[in-house]
Amino acid sequence: MGRAIYNSAIPNATQSALTHMGMLRALFRRAPELLLFLSIVLFSLVDAAADWNLPAQQLARKIAAFTGPGTVAFTVENRSSLRTKDVERITADLRSQLELLGVHSAELERAAGSVSVFLSENAQGYVWVAEMQVGSQSGVVMVSTPRSEGSAFLHEEAGLTIHKIPLWEQEDRILDVVVLEEDSAPKHIAVLDAEKVALYRRQNTKWQQEQVLAITHVRPWPRDLRGRLVAAKDHLLDIYLPGVFCRSTTAMPLGLTCRESDDPWPLVVTSPTSFPSFGGVPSGKGSPAGPSAVVPQLGAFYAPTRNFFTGALAPGVGAVSTTAKFYSAAPVPREKYVLWLFAGVDGQIHLVDGVREQAARLGWGSDVASVRTSCGSGWQVLATGAANGGVDSVRAYELPDRDPVPVSDPQEVSGEITALWTEAKGDSAIAVARNRETGHYEAFRLVVACSQ
Amino acid sequence: MKRSGWWWLVANSVLLATVAAAATRPQYGGTLHVTIWEAPTSLDPADATQADSFARRNLIDLIFETLVTVDDSGHVHPALAASWQAEPGDQRWQFQLRQGVHFHDGSPLTTEIVASSLRTANPSWNVLVESDSLLIECGAPDANLPSELALTRYAIVKRNNSSKLSGTGPFSIEAWQPGKQLTLRAEEDYWRGRAFVDVVEIEMGKNYSSQLMTLELGKAHLVEVAPEQAHRVSTEGRRIESSQPMELVALVYARDAHSADEKLLRNALPLSVERASMRSVLLQGAGQPTASILPNWMSGYGFVFPAATDLTRARQAREQVRALPTWSVGYDNNDPMAKLLAERVALNAKDAGLVLQPTTAAAADLRLIRIALASADPWVTLKQVAATAGVTMPKINGSSAEDLYSAEQAVLAAQRLIPLFHLPVNYAASPALKDWAPGSQGGWRLADVWLGSDKP
Repeated sequence: MGRAIYNSAIPNATQSALTHMGMLRALFRRAPELLLFLSIVLFSLVDAAADWNLPAQQLARKIAAFTGPGTVAFTVENRSSLRTKDVERITADLRSQLELLGVHSAELERAAGSVSVFLSENAQGYVWVAEMQVGSQSGVVMVSTPRSEGSAFLHEEAGLTIHKIPLWEQEDRILDVVVLEEDSAPKHIAVLDAEKVALYRRQNTKWQQEQVLAITHVRPWPRDLRGRLVAAKDHLLDIYLPGVFCRSTTAMPLGLTCRESDDPWPLVVTSPTSFPSFGGVPSGKGSPAGPSAVVPQLGAFYAPTRNFFTGALAPGVGAVSTTAKFYSAAPVPREKYVLWLFAGVDGQIHLVDGVREQAARLGWGSDVASVRTSCGSGWQVLATGAANGGVDSVRAYELPDRDPVPVSDPQEVSGEITALWTEAKGDSAIAVARNRETGHYEAFRLVVACSQ
Repeated sequence: MKRSGWWWLVANSVLLATVAAAATRPQYGGTLHVTIWEAPTSLDPADATQADSFARRNLIDLIFETLVTVDDSGHVHPALAASWQAEPGDQRWQFQLRQGVHFHDGSPLTTEIVASSLRTANPSWNVLVESDSLLIECGAPDANLPSELALTRYAIVKRNNSSKLSGTGPFSIEAWQPGKQLTLRAEEDYWRGRAFVDVVEIEMGKNYSSQLMTLELGKAHLVEVAPEQAHRVSTEGRRIESSQPMELVALVYARDAHSADEKLLRNALPLSVERASMRSVLLQGAGQPTASILPNWMSGYGFVFPAATDLTRARQAREQVRALPTWSVGYDNNDPMAKLLAERVALNAKDAGLVLQPTTAAAADLRLIRIALASADPWVTLKQVAATAGVTMPKINGSSAEDLYSAEQAVLAAQRLIPLFHLPVNYAASPALKDWAPGSQGGWRLADVWLGSDKP
């Protein structure tokens, strides 16, 4: 047998963004406006102009082969989604390439022929078509070139206090990302998708794939697949998937053992590097701006063939061991208790304080997560919602009493949010969105920065 | 423990209940109601007696699956086949099947069943089973075989002794009244994950007006909309979704031109057709006038084929011919739009001095037909249209845009086909239907949709 036709997709990291991430992380608390500036700079780097020289060269050669050296009336018309600056570059490239081949541009009256170039596109990419007329001879030549992957992943933000820090992008659905090591920026991450967990290590500015661990499962995955990656203390990773639990070994190269399991998923994740007041580790001191309440461990049973938690809690919130079926949960510690918010399958937010449960329709989406920060009351709830243009957004809320008060503008993402989990350290969240334009999944870290 | 503020939540619950529930995860359950105009009497993908239509393809895709799929960009992806390879020359292809897939009757997907299904769908292929893989030998090199295998007619069917069909798709047949109603139930163990809705009920043979009425009355979640009605329906505040232009409206000659005179007249006819005014008046702005077979979104060069009217050149061509025949133009009597278009083509032709006679008779010199384009893969689609027009697909070695253009040019040069319009497939959906949008190719993708609490 000869050539293989199908190959799995190659993941792409947003490398240029990562190069600068450590600096951003170090500075964001004190100078969010600096972070904003850097984000804009990053955007301009990511959005660097594509190289049109090669297709321009190819088309010029084909045109010159038809017209021969001489003068032609030369026009270019854009019939594609190319931006004006790209059209200008392509036009200039074509002109200079034609000049090199002896085809000179002239007014129609003085020209021996005409060349009309149309910058068009199809489902795969750009198609540049040249219609040529020299004397009674007419001809059509064309070249095609893939659409550039220039991503508008970062965009200009004004007055926002939620910052998106890109972590990883790939074609396959990302279920969760965990940062295993970081200095000023993440340098070792694990990315979970439906069939594998992949480990990547940053070498200088590039992510190198370190290892891929296949996930084995007997039953088919449910639609709207969800999963959770948890960095463990005595081994590297635990993985929670619908009806399946996987545990990695400790030493590299890692092994991964998966088994059918209905064990509860952790709603509070303990950081191996220990975050003071998250995951059941008492801090002893209050956070800079909030209560010092401990968030006790809480797990919830996940419906193995669906996309929600059954509502059964382990061990429970105070006296409450069962709540409504829910998609996600977020704790908000108080002085003497923890208020839990459950985003119910019924579209309501269920508030459970250990004694009673109350439901309210707040217009939030299905995903909530809480983060502990040095801003405001010290705890914010991140909730998904709708933004314009069919994309989702995340907005931060505080609950001074039981009343959610928005404390940030909505931060739009590139499409539909498919995952939102609080990170183990508790001060940030991992969100995954499916980009409406590219269809790729983009994972990023959400950080709430204090207003100045 | 402070317990104040509950009143605020209650108040907000009332206030925000009207806010669109966005960013919500899909919900399971419910019965999805769909209506269609077509009334297929067979669900067998390989049944060539059934007219090919988007509706029939969509019905089959709910129950059966192909070895591979083609996405909206024309790229091939694995489905029931996990991987595949071609031998040098692209005439022999080997496919490895996905493991763990079962038919709705509980039996596993095997190479023997797949081979039998493909032999039925295309007897000209030599389909062999080689241990755990499948070998397809084509009569000639075929670099696009994987894309072709994504066509609905190659969906894998298990035919048992009682002539009952079984598929591997997201829904299994619960009740089937040919040409009238189909009830499907979500397969719990579907290998891509159970569909969100429990049941899909499809009513067939409903005309467009009656479908819209059904939607209006809250009795359907998804209905078809005629191209010429799409604009009006959207201005009435209904949710309209459209595919890419995937339907080709064209005139097709019944036979090759017999003489030089006939060729001249065949040159004149397309130049006389006023596509732009037909689009604005008869199609109410829908679709795109075209002189190309492949829509521009698929090829990128469609505009190179001029679609503008040129009566002067049409008359010049006509005047070179002494004996003028009367051509009959057939159209489907059940399709009001086809009748209007055929009549207008005849009127336009008259302006150029040609004589065309619209007819509903089956035998006609030309027919106005609507071709549901096969695939987002332009090569597969061009081959399909060429076959429909009775033109042999030219042998082209390359696969570049320029090669495609040459092939399309050759098919058009045979003078068997006059492209008129590319039309999208339009649907109106109820607000309760969530996460729904037709694919670029007009696919329903009903396994991904879910039903919200909004009333249909």
